[in-house]
Amino acid sequence: MAYSSIVYLLPFLGAVVLLYNGMPKKYRWWVLLLASYIFYWLNSPTTLIFLLLSTAAVYLAGIFLNKIQDGFDLSKKALDKEGKKQLRKIVGWQKKAICACALLFIFGLLAFLKYYPFVSENINQFLKLLHLESTLPSLKLLLPLGISYYTLQAAGYIIDVYRGKYRADTHLGKVALFLSFFPQIVEGPIARFDQTADQLMEGNRSTYQNLTWGIQLILWGLFKKMVIADRANPFVAEVFKNYAEQSGVALLVGGVLFTVQIYMEFSGCMDIVIGSAQLFGINLPKNFARPFFATSVNDFWRRWHITLGAWLRDYVFYSVSLSKGFAKLSKKAKEKLTPFLGALIPSAAALFCVWICNGIWHGAGWKYLAYGMYYYGIMLLGMLLEPLFAQCGAKLKLNREGRAFRIVRILRTCILVVGGMTLFRAETVGAFGEIVYRIFTNFAPQHFYDGTLLHLCIDGWDFIAIAAGCAIVLLVSILQEKGYSLREQIAGQNIIIRWSVYLALILAIIIFGAYGSGYDQVAFIYGQF
Amino acid sequence: MEELLEILENLKPGVDFPAQTDLIEDHILDSMSVVMLVGELNDAFDIEITPVDVIPENFKTVDAIYAMIQRLSDD
Repeated sequence: MAYSSIVYLLPFLGAVVLLYNGMPKKYRWWVLLLASYIFYWLNSPTTLIFLLLSTAAVYLAGIFLNKIQDGFDLSKKALDKEGKKQLRKIVGWQKKAICACALLFIFGLLAFLKYYPFVSENINQFLKLLHLESTLPSLKLLLPLGISYYTLQAAGYIIDVYRGKYRADTHLGKVALFLSFFPQIVEGPIARFDQTADQLMEGNRSTYQNLTWGIQLILWGLFKKMVIADRANPFVAEVFKNYAEQSGVALLVGGVLFTVQIYMEFSGCMDIVIGSAQLFGINLPKNFARPFFATSVNDFWRRWHITLGAWLRDYVFYSVSLSKGFAKLSKKAKEKLTPFLGALIPSAAALFCVWICNGIWHGAGWKYLAYGMYYYGIMLLGMLLEPLFAQCGAKLKLNREGRAFRIVRILRTCILVVGGMTLFRAETVGAFGEIVYRIFTNFAPQHFYDGTLLHLCIDGWDFIAIAAGCAIVLLVSILQEKGYSLREQIAGQNIIIRWSVYLALILAIIIFGAYGSGYDQVAFIYGQF
Repeated sequence: MEELLEILENLKPGVDFPAQTDLIEDHILDSMSVVMLVGELNDAFDIEITPVDVIPENFKTVDAIYAMIQRLSDD
């Protein structure tokens, strides 16, 4: 039941909204929890058990952490300073052990179910090279729906409790709903407990504004997904499948179109997800902030899949870079090297951990690891060359804050991102290498205008629909970037203008959307992680 | 406060730190520079800034950073 399907949008979501509002306030969270488990069961019945196990693990670990903290708070009153210090040390270890057990359990499930086939295959190949006969059994494992998302939410919750950011919640239903809320279970956004849990339990009635704004956002998401992303999909699929037969131009256009496809699809899905939650008056964290206006790769990752980036920053980057081991490394680096390198090396090492995690989070395969390393390499190079860029800029008297320089930086970032997305979409790292090679050695510029591109599964009308759709999204993005709140502007208009906009959007989806015969419903790319 | 300003100015030369109202939102301090700053502050003020303390509210302005240092020094 994809978020863009009629089954989800009308019978399912409609019924949940009606039931939710028909229930007394204190029972509304039950509707959401039940709907979430039904949604999960309908999509992935055999793997629901893993969601339940992860929920139970972090719930119980949280309760234990509360008990240990309460015991410490009670005992410390009767102790002197030295006694408190000793007890704090013991309690610290106990809390660390419980947190580690919970994390090992939930990440163990994720690692086994998602990465075992990849790891076992590589180990077996390695053993074969050494002429050893023992091999790891190859298992066909079902990947639980949304495991990469709910595992990060569960880990964030238990780490926050361990760090003392808030106390663990004793309400099992609240923890269960936080981890399973149906609009976000498949593709995120990866929320924090203190962002959504209370809202989910409040049970506020759906107001007129919540309903209209939610529907607006769902329509906007459907427009991006069905008019642009799904229409681009046949071209992208063909080019990347038969890359060895394509010219450089076709491969380049394929890379650009895949970048457009994945953005429209993922951000469109987030619009449907956030809009769905808004129908119940629940505000989920945003996951996109117009990433193609980014002036650097770092800036791009602050605007693209924001909740994943923030999760990796808070729980990997800061955990590693602020650890005692890294503090020592930093000190030594400062003493023995230049101050610049002394500051750079520990950050670079912590950043390496972040990008390894980012790469393997996206999937079990060498190309995902390479994808993480691609961005790590760019960022590292940027950090190393920054003093040089600054010097050159000063010598050439470049206005690095000026508009022209900003546009150049945006274009440069877009090119780097298209490179990264091409690697992401290529079947293997080797295929990516060949695609790049063909772009440079077999460019065939005449394919731009001789009609070759119009015979790669989509025709001229498809290209026109994609271009028109992108132009509308670009216009809206420019207005948003300038600070206009389009939704408020539309809501402030009279009923004729307001409904004209809504009807235009609905008609655009019906007329230009890619569906019906000749189009398979395209699965959300990020739903497969 | 003067020591803090000196550290900040060494980290990001040319920024008028006391005049800034949001060092995080305005991207003057990103996660990299926050880590570098934390290392400097830990050494200079003999405190231990943990990941829990690394939240935007504690690094938003010079006053917020100073208040965090004071709080951690008292602990």
